[in-house]
Amino acid sequence: MFPVVKSVFLGIVRSSSQRDVLQKQMKLLSAGMRTYEIPPDFSDVELPEKPKLKFMEKVPNLKQAKKEMKRLRDIQGPSRTATKFSQGQYGILALGGGFLHWGHIEMMRLTINRSIDPSSMFAVWRFQPPHKPITRKSLGQRMGGGKGAIDHYVTPIKCGRLVLEMGGQLELVQVEAMLKQVAKKLPFPAKVVSRESLALMYKEHAERVSNNQNPWSFQKIVRSNMLGIRKVLSPLDVHNHGRYTGKFFDPSRV
Amino acid sequence: MAATLCCRLLPKAGWVPLTQSVRHGSKAVTRHKKPVHFQKQKLLAVTEYIPPTLSAPPAALAPRVKKTGEESSLAVMLRKDLENLFQEYKMIAVAQNNAISAEDMIHLKHRLKKHAINVKFFPNQVTRSFLNSSIYGNMSPLIFGETVLLASKEPKVKEMLQALRHNPQIVLLGACIENTLFSYQGILSYSKLPSIAIIRGELVSGLTMMTSKTVSMLHHHPAHLSALLQQYVKQQSSADTDKDASIQEAAA
Repeated sequence: MFPVVKSVFLGIVRSSSQRDVLQKQMKLLSAGMRTYEIPPDFSDVELPEKPKLKFMEKVPNLKQAKKEMKRLRDIQGPSRTATKFSQGQYGILALGGGFLHWGHIEMMRLTINRSIDPSSMFAVWRFQPPHKPITRKSLGQRMGGGKGAIDHYVTPIKCGRLVLEMGGQLELVQVEAMLKQVAKKLPFPAKVVSRESLALMYKEHAERVSNNQNPWSFQKIVRSNMLGIRKVLSPLDVHNHGRYTGKFFDPSRV
Repeated sequence: MAATLCCRLLPKAGWVPLTQSVRHGSKAVTRHKKPVHFQKQKLLAVTEYIPPTLSAPPAALAPRVKKTGEESSLAVMLRKDLENLFQEYKMIAVAQNNAISAEDMIHLKHRLKKHAINVKFFPNQVTRSFLNSSIYGNMSPLIFGETVLLASKEPKVKEMLQALRHNPQIVLLGACIENTLFSYQGILSYSKLPSIAIIRGELVSGLTMMTSKTVSMLHHHPAHLSALLQQYVKQQSSADTDKDASIQEAAA
């Protein structure tokens, strides 16, 4: 305090410009204590042997490559597998169907492996390597000539599937921005979820189903085939209650 | 190549109709949404979700939970300091700090220090929790925003007001003087009161005036005293003669 007092008196003796300069140094200091939240306990989390995302082959190891039909049912409707977390805590959830080809997979692998900290994080794939052949006729080829040659392989993804998982000794804020970057570049709408938010999403849907004030629900009308409505619906609509239109998904419907 | 659906009997007869229409047409659309049949549009519109009407907003129904964390050691120490302050100091004034500069604050501290008045800063949470749990609970409304405590062992209200007059940023709100709460007007009235020494002197001088007058009279010369007594007797006799004359006139 005394040096400040001394500088105050010296400032008064000197010119006013000096006082203006000196005034910036004066600060009214008061004691305080900052309280921090206790960080979560990660002592029971075990990291796998290889924490980084594994490289996926462009082409499956087939004895003989065969052409396939498009078979768009592979990306229609909800997914039956990989809808829950297996070993991670955070992941990317697909909110629509689509085909993942090697470029998407490599983009995900490079982005996540670059941002990951192998000593405290790990990531795993939740889908198979590309296995579905896509044919394409070369440029300038005449019409006809049968089905084109196999150009590349893709992995079909259905709605509600977890594309990849991340886990380890980390919190969501550490990886959310990076996962959002990955989710934006996928060929279907996707979002970042954690175990809690995924369970909350399912719970909210169940709540909407239970407290729906509309007595005419899609399931009720279609199951009873009122006015012969099944004539204009597909069997997928009967099963999925109108929430899926092809590969698209409408989360607001119950 | 047109994609087609095959007709076939389904196992559950009662669940779906026995016949299923065959879809003939072009490929399934995947890049964009296919135009929806009019009847399906109507069906989707009729079966939209209708939320329940809430009797009250959800924030009003949620119970108020106040987070009561463990008090830090610094708060405990500050509370102890505050308790000692209220015990030892007779005058504790509460003022509001309206963005006073550090230089003016230093000058104010010096001016108040000449009269043994200390300027104290305590966190409002600590102060409010201490006041609410002690006999000074009625002081809690004063503790709000930027608060300054002016404390002195002896109640020097006049000096404090003179010092605060030079600083309009420090606004005096109230004070606790000898366990009595004062508002701003009360503080002004208290400052106009004379000190206890003056009052005691006045009382003593008033009481000793009578005896001193008697002593001074006794110290005078006895002739003066006898002259006064004769004067007194004459006054008494003249009063009696006047009374007798008035009685005789009444008889006549």
